[in-house]
Amino acid sequence: MSSVTLYSVAYSIAAILLGGLAHLFPAPVHGWLISGDVVTALATVIFAAILLAASMLNTILLIWYERKLLGRFMDRRGAMHVGYAGLLQNFADGLKLFRKDTVRPGQADPLGFWLSPTAYMVTSLVIFGLLPISTGWNGGSLPLTLLLALVIFSFAPLFIFLGAWASNNKYSLIGGMRSAAQMIAYEVPILLAVVAVVVLAGSFDLNTIVLEQRNYWFWAPLFLALIVFLTGMLAEMERIPFDLPEAEAELVEGWNTEYGGMLFAFFMLADYLRALVGSILVVLLFLGGWTLPSYIPAALTSFPLAGIVWFMVKTYLVFGLFVWVRASLPRIRTDQLLRLGWMRMVPLALLSVILAALVVLARCLPLIGCVPSMGG
Amino acid sequence: MDGTSASGTEEKPFLWVTRPLATAAKQFAKSLWRPSTVVYPFERLEDPKFRAKVAVASGKPIGVGEIWDNYRGVHALNINTCISCNLCAFSCPDVCIEMVTVPGGDPKHPKKCPQIDYGKCSFCGFCSDACPEGCLSMTTRYELSVHKREEMVYSPAKMFDVYKSKLPMNPIRVERPENEDQILLDAPLCIGCNACSRDCPTNCITMLDIPKLTPKPGEKMPKRIWKEPVINDSDCVRCGTCISVCPKDCLFWGTRQ
Repeated sequence: MSSVTLYSVAYSIAAILLGGLAHLFPAPVHGWLISGDVVTALATVIFAAILLAASMLNTILLIWYERKLLGRFMDRRGAMHVGYAGLLQNFADGLKLFRKDTVRPGQADPLGFWLSPTAYMVTSLVIFGLLPISTGWNGGSLPLTLLLALVIFSFAPLFIFLGAWASNNKYSLIGGMRSAAQMIAYEVPILLAVVAVVVLAGSFDLNTIVLEQRNYWFWAPLFLALIVFLTGMLAEMERIPFDLPEAEAELVEGWNTEYGGMLFAFFMLADYLRALVGSILVVLLFLGGWTLPSYIPAALTSFPLAGIVWFMVKTYLVFGLFVWVRASLPRIRTDQLLRLGWMRMVPLALLSVILAALVVLARCLPLIGCVPSMGG
Repeated sequence: MDGTSASGTEEKPFLWVTRPLATAAKQFAKSLWRPSTVVYPFERLEDPKFRAKVAVASGKPIGVGEIWDNYRGVHALNINTCISCNLCAFSCPDVCIEMVTVPGGDPKHPKKCPQIDYGKCSFCGFCSDACPEGCLSMTTRYELSVHKREEMVYSPAKMFDVYKSKLPMNPIRVERPENEDQILLDAPLCIGCNACSRDCPTNCITMLDIPKLTPKPGEKMPKRIWKEPVINDSDCVRCGTCISVCPKDCLFWGTRQ
């Protein structure tokens, strides 16, 4: 694994920029500009900018990826004309939405109407500062990273409901109600599945969880938890078959009916940001993060930035799974959704927690061998 | 989740998820290399190269996507053989054909060729059916998208370019009655209005003076000009324009003894 980290990249860029800038100024300013504090401050800003750019770029590519995959599932091609194989189509769409006027309905509440998309977007973006994508490529290793990420992830229903309520539209309101009910119902099985992972890994720190998977990936002992987590994530992302909050046939566009132009683009982007976060969490918790099994030849795992490359490959494969489900299944009813959440997923998640506990107790896995000592 | 499918048979809930997933995966595998859609502006079904490479290779019959020869698309006009007979404009039910002057022809009788407004044209093919010289025909070209409304109007020169592109043309025409290749006059009906002579593309109609009749007492004479058309058969191209323009229907196809 190479020793280049996200922070070292940001620090180098800041040092080079300030070093060049300092030559233009006389001695006292020159000395201040190349002092450690200033470079660190600029490095932090650049660090955040890199994270923002990377997450937004990946989100837009994710939309392209979904359109192309969905096309193949439906025996067509998806976007073809802007850029190579339609690669730039979503940038063109974004530009179009950006140029559009944003219209607020006369009866809508201004504060909630403007605040909701922004807050939804921001809470989705902040999570990217917490998720590690390779050794050293994260915003900082906190002891409770996973918990913090999930807490921020679960802010969404609040802002969705805020926007739906402020829109003053019956379809928005029904969509917001459904969204809140659905997200709160599926937080429980998701957190229980995460508890199973945490029990096995012995830590809430995502770096530690990935390191604990160096011998075996957690999806093997925690297959039940993986199923529960995937299903819960589908519901959290409001993707088909759980897209009741924006069921086009019944509610016009669900809770973002009244939003147009860039505000709609914010909601759309935030949806895909959350889908990206969901895929990354699946990779981190169950699929070994950036690590690969030892029987993979070393040539494939030792090139520079190999960890990031394999991490992104895994993430896109997991998202491909979500697209596959979207292409296959019809939307389910509200009562079916809630029954599935409370009566199937919660017991399954509890069962997987018990399984994880048993695995830890036994310290040995059938077929795989003994678990190394617990981290934490 | 009552455990029954649409057909009413008992099914395991497990299959509700796995069977659609398998169907979608099968479709994905089938269209992974090449979906059945055609990337239209770059690939065309009627392109023989495309058919040889893709349509035949994928097991589809060769005829798929072929445009039939009698397709009624953009008109092709052979300006050189056009005799300015006006028949296309007369036969057009949408009144989208206008005869415009083209270079060539003498100053007194300028040569006129059809100009078609595709904003109005319904592609019925009456004009190419009516053309006596077969110089106006319909091709298999079907792409008519333009940026401006004015570009929908195809000038004779533009249609001559279509003619020169050697596309398959649709030559179906209604022949005039067999053995009736001369234009006869029902003299008592004629009012001497000069319409036939004026519109004749070859100037083969001459209006000759006829003796003025004096009405008998008590009989009402028609109001007319005392002239009658005489048709020079050697110059006539049998376009039938005179029959069409005659306001009194006194000209007709026939055979002179």
